[in-house]
Amino acid sequence: MIARPTFTLDDLLLRAAEEHGERTAIVDGKASHTYEDLLAASDSLATALVDAGVARGDRVGIYMQKSWESIVAMLAISQAGAAFVNVNPALKAAQVAYIAGDCDIRLLIADTDKLDALEPGSVPQAFHHGRAPKQPGSTDLAAIIAAPGRGERRPLIETDLGTVLYTSGSTGMPKGVAFSQRNLVVGAEIVSTYLENTADDRILSVLPFSFDYGLNQLTCAIRVGASLVVQRSQLPGDLLRGLRQNEITGLAGVPPVWSLLLRNAKSLEAEPLTALRYITNSGGRIPQVNLDALRRLLPGTRIFLMYGLTEAFRSTFLPPEEIDRGSDCIGKAIPNTEILVIKDGRAAEVGEVGELVHRGPTVALGYWGNQEATDRVYGPNPLAPPELLEVERVVRSGDLVRRDADGYLYFMGRNDEMIKSGGFRISPEEVENLLIASGVVHEAAALGVDDPDGVVGQVVLAVISLRDDAPEDALQVIRDHMVANAPPYMAPRDIVVVDELPKGASGKLDRPAIRRAHAA
Amino acid sequence: MAIEELQDVAETIRGWLREHVTGDRAVTDDEELISTGLLTSLQTVELVLFLDQRFGIDITDDEFVEENFNTVDAIARLVASKRG
Repeated sequence: MIARPTFTLDDLLLRAAEEHGERTAIVDGKASHTYEDLLAASDSLATALVDAGVARGDRVGIYMQKSWESIVAMLAISQAGAAFVNVNPALKAAQVAYIAGDCDIRLLIADTDKLDALEPGSVPQAFHHGRAPKQPGSTDLAAIIAAPGRGERRPLIETDLGTVLYTSGSTGMPKGVAFSQRNLVVGAEIVSTYLENTADDRILSVLPFSFDYGLNQLTCAIRVGASLVVQRSQLPGDLLRGLRQNEITGLAGVPPVWSLLLRNAKSLEAEPLTALRYITNSGGRIPQVNLDALRRLLPGTRIFLMYGLTEAFRSTFLPPEEIDRGSDCIGKAIPNTEILVIKDGRAAEVGEVGELVHRGPTVALGYWGNQEATDRVYGPNPLAPPELLEVERVVRSGDLVRRDADGYLYFMGRNDEMIKSGGFRISPEEVENLLIASGVVHEAAALGVDDPDGVVGQVVLAVISLRDDAPEDALQVIRDHMVANAPPYMAPRDIVVVDELPKGASGKLDRPAIRRAHAA
Repeated sequence: MAIEELQDVAETIRGWLREHVTGDRAVTDDEELISTGLLTSLQTVELVLFLDQRFGIDITDDEFVEENFNTVDAIARLVASKRG
């Protein structure tokens, strides 16, 4: 029999159910679900989505803690021919309402407590997970999944929209990156190939599905028929228990995850994690001291350092045997991908610093509904022959790198002011708008400074001037406002109050001067 | 440990949560913190450092799990048992 071709996420699910139907697909707490269960649950929910009026190409939001149900939701939305929008559960009501409006969410599938926190009318329709919500009119997700589906699948092609994932945006609100079905499927093919994933893998899923790298563990697992173990708590004791009890073979993390895991150093030393075949890091550089500790405490585990930006899904990885090149090395291009280093429109020389430009099948469709932002980041391949008429779109990453004589790439910094904290990319403008929205701040500048504890990479430093009518306890007002309206990673670690912020001739903030004065 | 002491510990934890996590909104003693994502892992690490210092205790790695940190009540009981 010829294997089923996989052009879409739904094809991946169908193939996994055909080839690995009896094997465990998802483990969530004490519950374990096979690929046949996943196919059936997806069918039930897809049927309910179609009956609720969700049309081909519609956007359906998922605002949930990661769970079996949140995974069923992504696959069901795809089966119904719609695009799923995983909303980071750490986002607050204002950002969620913005996202719902920005990509015109037709229906939101949400945990009840999250649905209750939204302003009434934020979304046109909802399915809830958990007890009945305060606002009537939504449908119980558990009942939907328990009811049989009709087996209807809306046909999609690989160039159709698959998902929209939101990252921090420079306009002060999150910015949606649109991915095709092909982006999702090849992202799984490429990564599972170099991680050598098989149906025998048991992958621990600790990262949010709203993050392209976190979503990738799920798509890789489905692609090969492996088991994905859902891990909500990243507390050190829970992480270790999750790894041991499930005999996890693969773990993907961001730098803070390793700091949390390494708190268990004594236990790791006494009883090594013998099942753990590989770990992968992305979303920022691991501090060298943590990388050394991981190598010492996980001697039998292969360590893959990866680099990617949401706009191109995944870009490079450093093979485990090259790890002595240091934690600034981001390796070489992932399979079926080329990384260009561009300096003044030409290919940079060996050792010369240039911008990392990504070409390959994981290049996303662009920013949802934002031509201007899309044109800034996506564009023609600068090195293609002109006869190709600029048909190929590449991603200009904004990351500065250099390539050594062996072809390995090294991260040298950013050519913009993006802050990178705990695996999240944070736009300074988004933090600044939040600060000003507190009502007591006149001007604000947010910048990333090195985390003194070395846990999250950078922390946010805010330099502000206060309004003339600001109250005595203005700083407390700001802190309370950030806690209520921003995800935790966006909250400034320190706030410096000045009389006036330095500005350039055009009246814009003079960010280099602010950085020299406060973050040198 | 006396009931009043347990309540003092709980009040200290609620104060920390108000300042770092929930803002104006008060957390109830049985409200779920970790399983709902309200308290992130990194915030919990900060809370543990605070509790270690404030109460002169040493929370070990195998105690550093969701069931000990999911509610104000659970955290207060853990702290109280350590001070014993």
